[in-house]
Amino acid sequence: MRKLSTIILSLLVISSLLLAACAPAAPAPAPAAAPAEATEAAPAEATEAPAEEAAAEATEAPAEEAAAPSGDVIVATPGQAVKMVLMPKFLGILVFDQANQGAQEAHAELGNTDELQFLGPTPENSVAGQIEIVTNATTQGVQAIMISNNAGDQIAPAAQAARDAGMTVVTWDSPIPSAEGEQLFVAQVDFAETGTVMADMARSILGEDGGKFAVLSASPDAANQNAWIASLQETLTDPAYANLELLDIVYGNDQSEDSYNQALALIDKYPDMELIMAPTSVGIVAAAKAMQDEGLCDTVKVSGLGLPAEMVEYTLNGCAPEFALWSFVDLGYTTYYAAYLLATGAMQGAEGETFEAGRMGTYTIEKDPTRDAGLRIVMGPFTVYNADNVEAASK
Amino acid sequence: MNTIRRRFQPEQIRELVLIALIIGILIFFGTQIDNYFSPRTFTRISTSVAVIAVVAVGQTLVILTRNIDLSVGSIVGFTAYIVGTILSINNDIPPVAVVLMAVAMGAVMGSINGLLVAYGRVPAIIVTLGTLAIFRTVLVEISGANSVLTNELPRWLVNLPPVNAFTLGPLDIRLLFFLAVVVVIIFQLVVSYLPWGRRLYAIGSNPDAARVAGFPAQRIIFTAFVLSGALAGLGGFMFLARFGNITVVAGQGIELQSVAAAVVGGVNINGGLGSPFGAFLGAILIDVLDNSLIRWLAISEFWRDALLGLLILLAVATDTVIMNRLRKVWARHELQVSGDGEPPAEKGGAGYAA
Repeated sequence: MRKLSTIILSLLVISSLLLAACAPAAPAPAPAAAPAEATEAAPAEATEAPAEEAAAEATEAPAEEAAAPSGDVIVATPGQAVKMVLMPKFLGILVFDQANQGAQEAHAELGNTDELQFLGPTPENSVAGQIEIVTNATTQGVQAIMISNNAGDQIAPAAQAARDAGMTVVTWDSPIPSAEGEQLFVAQVDFAETGTVMADMARSILGEDGGKFAVLSASPDAANQNAWIASLQETLTDPAYANLELLDIVYGNDQSEDSYNQALALIDKYPDMELIMAPTSVGIVAAAKAMQDEGLCDTVKVSGLGLPAEMVEYTLNGCAPEFALWSFVDLGYTTYYAAYLLATGAMQGAEGETFEAGRMGTYTIEKDPTRDAGLRIVMGPFTVYNADNVEAASK
Repeated sequence: MNTIRRRFQPEQIRELVLIALIIGILIFFGTQIDNYFSPRTFTRISTSVAVIAVVAVGQTLVILTRNIDLSVGSIVGFTAYIVGTILSINNDIPPVAVVLMAVAMGAVMGSINGLLVAYGRVPAIIVTLGTLAIFRTVLVEISGANSVLTNELPRWLVNLPPVNAFTLGPLDIRLLFFLAVVVVIIFQLVVSYLPWGRRLYAIGSNPDAARVAGFPAQRIIFTAFVLSGALAGLGGFMFLARFGNITVVAGQGIELQSVAAAVVGGVNINGGLGSPFGAFLGAILIDVLDNSLIRWLAISEFWRDALLGLLILLAVATDTVIMNRLRKVWARHELQVSGDGEPPAEKGGAGYAA
């Protein structure tokens, strides 16, 4: 709706100017131009990816820091001074704060004597704000920056400048599509696996006889969402999933109100739909709330990627019997290790290098199959939540 | 023709034209979408128009004075979030107190705008763009990245959206929609009959004349901003009730939606013309289009925004052309009348200040 209102206003302004030209008496709402432009740069695309509080199954065992470099596995030397910045898409969303918790944990664990800052733009200024933070970090002696990119390739020049100035640039959660200016992407899960996880949940909810479902995504140009949906469609071509039919893909732009309205529209459009799959933490709660308000939880279920703390009510009352996620705490933790190793020169960021990330174990850098030029490590795993384990995870 | 001219003003005809447009659009989509003319469609549109209608009424009060309030999006989000947080800590606050708290919180934020615009003489667009960003940033800072969750809210609030005020034959009039209609009616009466309301038009039409005439322009503009904030606060409460899960981006974009609703509804952005009822119709027109287009299988997701923009453009352009014709006819008529030495026909409300 935000984008839409901008369009409406712009059109109104144009129309009124045209009309004013033809008929001088026309009331010309010219000042509206300013607000329309002013908010144009605000595609605050909220988190696509849910997380959980301290991972349900993650063990709290601290990493053995004293381990000597053994074989090919690169191990961090604690106690070095690296000035670091962790940058979320924007501030104020729980999952990014959880990532910061994980990064702070690794920061303390490695005894980094310099500081780790959690810096992010405000929601309405995400794209410009991210670019500004990268640029400022370059001039302020920051040695490593960890980016959850919300600016597409627009951030690439700033990231490249940071690289040229000798900084370490690691992305997490959402990569730079062209991989320009980025050394390594810490992927939360294998994007191809997401489709299988969603298809499996659909099959488990709809039963052996299958059924019809629709996808409620974030914005039409969110790279990770599109990769996940493509992977879901790919999975559905497998004969094992032949009785699942994907009716439609709609976009709620990660706003509660848009997602809620889209969910209602889906049930009006497709009376025989039995499931809404929302791979976004905002969309999944909005869809569950919509089904609950409509009293439809018995006939139309909701699933996808969501936060246990936000989903517990709907999972227990049967509106959203199953959903999946990964741990953002672990993602922040792993990202910190990768950035620390790169910044201290222990790791070069070349394909095939294997390193140890504290309690998370070892990872090997590989080519990113979703991007031509990118390198990545894959963290994983997914945890599927249902009525049995959602309460414990939501605490 | 003369009787029509004497009875109606162009602005009233504009509202009739808007209603005709809405009916025309409904008929068109009725032929396109299965089961369109069902109580369900009414419920969908009425519930989704409620929040924006309340905010658009406040916006109208401000625009009438030749100002604009762009901070309402942040006020809606701020009150929804803060009231939700307070409620999740203490579930036992009585509903009336909750509503009053939201309205008061909005009024306080509106008074900041009002002080700066009316007494500080800073242009409204600058002040409210500033507070739009400031309120949102304060919210982001104090939220600590937590969201308001439905399972922490009291049951009466979570179960509020499907509650009916009453039923009209097969149509369910939801409580939240009813509340919005009551707000529209109250403020329509205020701007039509109360001296304070009439002065909004006077100030917007000609600020200098209003000052010379001795109107307390500053106080009136200040009050308009306070009311706009208070209504945005009420909108925040309704937003909280409807969506339950509130993040820090809640309400983003409502500032533009409310301006769009007002402008489409015939409120002149240069002040002095329009009414809360018109803004309500504007909100309905946009919402009918939006809700119908997302249910229309014939067009893809990606064309929806463009088509919506085009339809609104057409609607407003038609409306403006007709209005200009009408104004000329009326004006010519009055010239004739006064030329004949007769007293001009009663001018009714809005006049043709533009």
